[in-house]
Amino acid sequence: MKYVKPAIALVSLLVTLSIWGFIAVYRAGYEPNVLQTAIIAILLISGVYAFVVHMRQYRDEQQGFPPEDELSNRIKYKAGYYAFIASMYVWMLIFLFKAFIPDVETMLGGGILLSAFISIAIRNYMTRNYDENQN
Amino acid sequence: MKTRIKELRTARGMTQVDLAKEVGVRRETIVFLEKGKYNPSLQLAHKIASTFDMAIEDVFLL
Repeated sequence: MKYVKPAIALVSLLVTLSIWGFIAVYRAGYEPNVLQTAIIAILLISGVYAFVVHMRQYRDEQQGFPPEDELSNRIKYKAGYYAFIASMYVWMLIFLFKAFIPDVETMLGGGILLSAFISIAIRNYMTRNYDENQN
Repeated sequence: MKTRIKELRTARGMTQVDLAKEVGVRRETIVFLEKGKYNPSLQLAHKIASTFDMAIEDVFLL
């Protein structure tokens, strides 16, 4: 069990880098546009974030703390709810501005990654600013 | 919810890390509890009160 967390972290990083590499190879020959660059950036940010979170959990585990407890679970569920609502609005905006998106694959891929990014951002914000009496 | 956790903890010479390990939560949870930003479960409140050998209502104030 001790090495599960770093293994997950390593795999998440490798998967991210592989996808990024795949995109780089697939798109070789022409420079990625702003949208594609943004997608690659979100991919990398998500991968690095997953890596950092898992490493932090692993370090806590080594120090005798539980990787998750009742507060972190509550934050996770609440952040998930807010992320879902925010993602709905993002998808609505994506469909409204689909004329500016070159193809369906980019639209779907970008939308899914943007949802993941929103989820990360909201969870990160709530971890720092959680207040049960206000949220 | 207001708590007397910080006061009781420092009186016993405990750090946040010590208390967190004692009751089996992350250090951040103790930080949020002390700031009154998190209302703990009954189980956690009981564990914390037991650590201080006090009743729950003497540690957590409404």
